[in-house]
Amino acid sequence: MRRRQETRTAYLLLAPSLFGIGAFLVLPILVVAVLATQRWDLIGPRTFVGFDNVVAVAADGRFVRSLLITAGFVAIVIPAQTVLGLVAALLLNRGLRGSAAFRVLYVLPWICAPLALGVMWSWVLAPTDGALNALIGRRVEWLADPVLAMPSVAAVTVWTQVGYVALFFSAGLRAIPDTVHEAAMLDGASPWQRFWRITLPLLRPTTFFVLVTQIIATFQVFDSVYALTPDGGPQGVTDVVAGRIYYEAFEQRAVGQAAVMALVLFVLLVAVTVVQQRWFARRTTYDLST
Amino acid sequence: MRTAGTYLLLALGAVATLAPFLLSVATAFKSPRQFASEPVLTPPDPPTLSNFAELFGERYDFVAPTAVTAQVVVVILVGQLVFSVFAAYAFARLSFPGRDALFWLYLATLMVPQVVTIIPLYAVFADLGIRNTFWALVLPYVFGSPYGIFLLREYFKGIPGDLLDAAKLDGAGTLRTIWHVVVPVSRPILATLAIITVVTHWNNFLWPLVITSGRQWQVLTVATSALQSQYNSNWTIVMAATTIAILPLMIVFLAFQRHVVRSITITGFR
Repeated sequence: MRRRQETRTAYLLLAPSLFGIGAFLVLPILVVAVLATQRWDLIGPRTFVGFDNVVAVAADGRFVRSLLITAGFVAIVIPAQTVLGLVAALLLNRGLRGSAAFRVLYVLPWICAPLALGVMWSWVLAPTDGALNALIGRRVEWLADPVLAMPSVAAVTVWTQVGYVALFFSAGLRAIPDTVHEAAMLDGASPWQRFWRITLPLLRPTTFFVLVTQIIATFQVFDSVYALTPDGGPQGVTDVVAGRIYYEAFEQRAVGQAAVMALVLFVLLVAVTVVQQRWFARRTTYDLST
Repeated sequence: MRTAGTYLLLALGAVATLAPFLLSVATAFKSPRQFASEPVLTPPDPPTLSNFAELFGERYDFVAPTAVTAQVVVVILVGQLVFSVFAAYAFARLSFPGRDALFWLYLATLMVPQVVTIIPLYAVFADLGIRNTFWALVLPYVFGSPYGIFLLREYFKGIPGDLLDAAKLDGAGTLRTIWHVVVPVSRPILATLAIITVVTHWNNFLWPLVITSGRQWQVLTVATSALQSQYNSNWTIVMAATTIAILPLMIVFLAFQRHVVRSITITGFR
């Protein structure tokens, strides 16, 4: 009797979030699968077209290109922000006065709207009246040059996320007991040896966590890229996958094809998560964080 | 020597972080004439509020998007706090059939990317005829988030059982127990969730961009983006807009930074 009452209470408490998560996170996955088999222009009626959208997306080439562009973007951003974040964390964890203030300051970009930061940087990097060109005294087309656009957008992303990454490494470093370093020093290990042989291996759980979450988040980049280089950038060099899906659905009005792309992206990200979880689970033998 | 070197590098990082903010805020306080005629690094002379006055004036009307954004954030905040507390309490402190499977499902939805859900949600909202309404902006988020529920559940699990049993002996029902016992002892984590929610939804762009059209329900990020594409050479106005989009959050963050920093380490280490 008591058990039944507890069950009833639990489900009453869960009802709102069950509705929210069911309707706005689970149901959309089913709906997107249905939309992938239809032709729809956002306004008119929907018609069933079977696998036509899949064929059209495969034949188009722009979707595959956007996946490669995004992979390239991730391949620049992740190593850069991980290394810079680790360096920042090492500097922050030397126990100097004011370190806490620096740590907070570095996180500032991360809490700002990526869209607003993108707009802000589109001025900083503007060719004639932008801040950066004024400072270096040259006219460089940071965002309009097909060669420079991608590294520029990646640099802005790294600038946004380094402080956040540093926060994790900083916490990870604090979790390493001082005694481990003291023992190594007694054995005559140099600072360099201690970093490679002790700090880095002991940071492995943190590193994996940062890599997993950041790769997944960076793969979905949209707001800042949209503000910095609208419509895929010069010659489409910054046409990242989230942007490709958005333009396909809401500007080309090819909703069915956009739905196919969205499904592929979803499956890809789930696969990445599962693979990394497995790897993560096998490699966390060094966890000293508790 | 070593200390000086560390400070030098830390200061370099601080300059790299702050310079774009300071330059753009300075630009927002310059007259268009000064911006066009003087070098970037000269400070606003005299500092003028004319860009902000114009931004909130009739032509650009940023009052409306600021008000819409604030309302959206408040409604989502209240909903997320209440419903996340409910769900987290059920998962943390009650036993019922299906609990672990349901919690696993909640966690699994963390993997669903926003860009995947916007197309089907657009279709559903269009069918229901609620596209471009206030409710379209808040409905997908107001019932609690899997992240918030997860965060609170971890914390609620640590509340001593004696505390809850005492409330039960006093004859308190579930809602009273939550309100009088669970909420007061969970203030730090609730503050953390509140800040994360405010930040996330003040900054949200893709969903509002898709589901609203025209000025009526435009939020700040969408209005800023529209301003940029329409007037992208009027940088003093555009920088005033980014300042409005960024500054309130920075103030909230600096006031509560300890909660945010801690929450990141909590979710990072489990």
